Amino acid sequence: MKVVTGVVGNDIHVVANRLIELSLNARGFEVFNLGVNTYLEEFFDAVVETGAEVLLISSLNGEAEGWSREIKLLKASYKNLDNLVMMIGGNLVVGSGDADEIVPKYKNYGFDLVFHQVDLNTGLDTLEEYLKQRGMR
Amino acid sequence: MNRLLIDVGSTYFKVSSQENIEQHFRDFNKDILDDLKFKCSKTIECYKKDDVYICSSANGGLSTLIIGLTNSFSLKYAKNIAFNSGINIIESVMYQNLADYSIPSDLIDVVIIVGGINTNKDIFKDDLYEYLKMLNYSNIVFVGCENEAQKLEKNIQNLVILPNIIDEKLHIVEENLKEYLTNLYQLDIEGKEDIKNLYEITANQIYSTPYIVNKTLPFIHIKFGVVDPFILIDIGGATTDIHYSKDLVDDNIVTENEYDRLVFKKLGVYKSKESLIFAAQNNEFVYELLSYLKVTENIFSDESQKGTKVLMQLAIFLVLTKMSHYKQSYINLKLLSINSIVFTGGITKVLSASEIEEIISFFYKKILNSQHNPMTVLDSNYDIWTIGVKGDDNVN
Repeated sequence: MKVVTGVVGNDIHVVANRLIELSLNARGFEVFNLGVNTYLEEFFDAVVETGAEVLLISSLNGEAEGWSREIKLLKASYKNLDNLVMMIGGNLVVGSGDADEIVPKYKNYGFDLVFHQVDLNTGLDTLEEYLKQRGMR
Repeated sequence: MNRLLIDVGSTYFKVSSQENIEQHFRDFNKDILDDLKFKCSKTIECYKKDDVYICSSANGGLSTLIIGLTNSFSLKYAKNIAFNSGINIIESVMYQNLADYSIPSDLIDVVIIVGGINTNKDIFKDDLYEYLKMLNYSNIVFVGCENEAQKLEKNIQNLVILPNIIDEKLHIVEENLKEYLTNLYQLDIEGKEDIKNLYEITANQIYSTPYIVNKTLPFIHIKFGVVDPFILIDIGGATTDIHYSKDLVDDNIVTENEYDRLVFKKLGVYKSKESLIFAAQNNEFVYELLSYLKVTENIFSDESQKGTKVLMQLAIFLVLTKMSHYKQSYINLKLLSINSIVFTGGITKVLSASEIEEIISFFYKKILNSQHNPMTVLDSNYDIWTIGVKGDDNVN
């Protein structure tokens, strides 16, 4: 299964990005890593070009919040992304925040799976479980 | 080696021999060869066909339509390759929105279809074939997902299939499409009567001028004190070409070439004068610029040398603005990082270094709010083009 991943916005947390790639590879995913400083349009464009089923966006410095508000509108401009699984993880706000508030907010932005300050393996276990439930894996 | 180098532009032709360099305004009522012989017969007669090298941008190059999947990858990569192959006229269409585009009425020299990495599938559907039926084109090439090639070949007549320009890491693969487009350009040149006749005086292949300029850039330090990173601006009669070092772009295009090319197709001071004036009038800073240059709007209808000078200054300002982050476009260059701006083409015969610097300084202050002052280098003797034509001799 193909996954497009990368770090959104003006965020250069390259180590976390590389760890995500390695972990996804180890779990048998085919990974297309766009690296750090990636814009939303590039994520969706990469999904279209690769035919990926999952988009995993990471954010470490709270940049995600500003960018994610645009997600629904941008995704709607693409005609074949209705079945795309959208996942985001990392540190999703500037400073500290309550996951109980943050998770619903990001789900409302259009993400299926949201992980705020959750360790990588837990997040990926949940992704695999989710894909199984949807009959995708 | 003693060679005669000839560049046929849309407005001038230049003839460079060991001794000197001549420049002549073209007589559009005459065939290029006749005009050339009329003005420089003595020089031409001194050289054997093997020693005459010609490049041309006079016939405008190929018109190209690219149909691709996304702006960030397929369309961007194909556009990049086309520009670097010397093509000026490029229209692009995003496949998913095919129905929203009007059908071009003019004959298109080449249609490029691109999209998807090789492991993708079921990308192109019947709507593509329907769209293509409405187009009037001479050549068509597919450089996308391998899995789609057979299906497209079955449904599109005379389709040329080349390796995908997007690899499995979403990186660009240039060579095959570049070679195809460069060859097509040659065939196009050879097919045009005006240019075809030039083979009477040369035994060498006639190349497109931008292709030659792009080849020169790695050798530019031979003749000029240029400090990297730099951009090269060629303001001509019909178009304005920019060649830029890749260090100046935050981009996902990773190639072996150090320099890319970009064209503003309707920004020239003779053939495209009207559209240059139109672009200037629609720029919010232009009246401030005119007042800075101590002229009024009437200068647009001034046919004198002064009018041409101001138009060239406007062209510099518009080009820099279009490439800056002030206007979002196909490419935005990090103009605060450049150390040199090299000017070539007719502009070097019209404007002095100080007149160019005046505009550059206005641009940086007004648009980028900066005191940055890159060095201006004028290629007044067409050295850039001669270095490119001589090619490998430069490094030997």
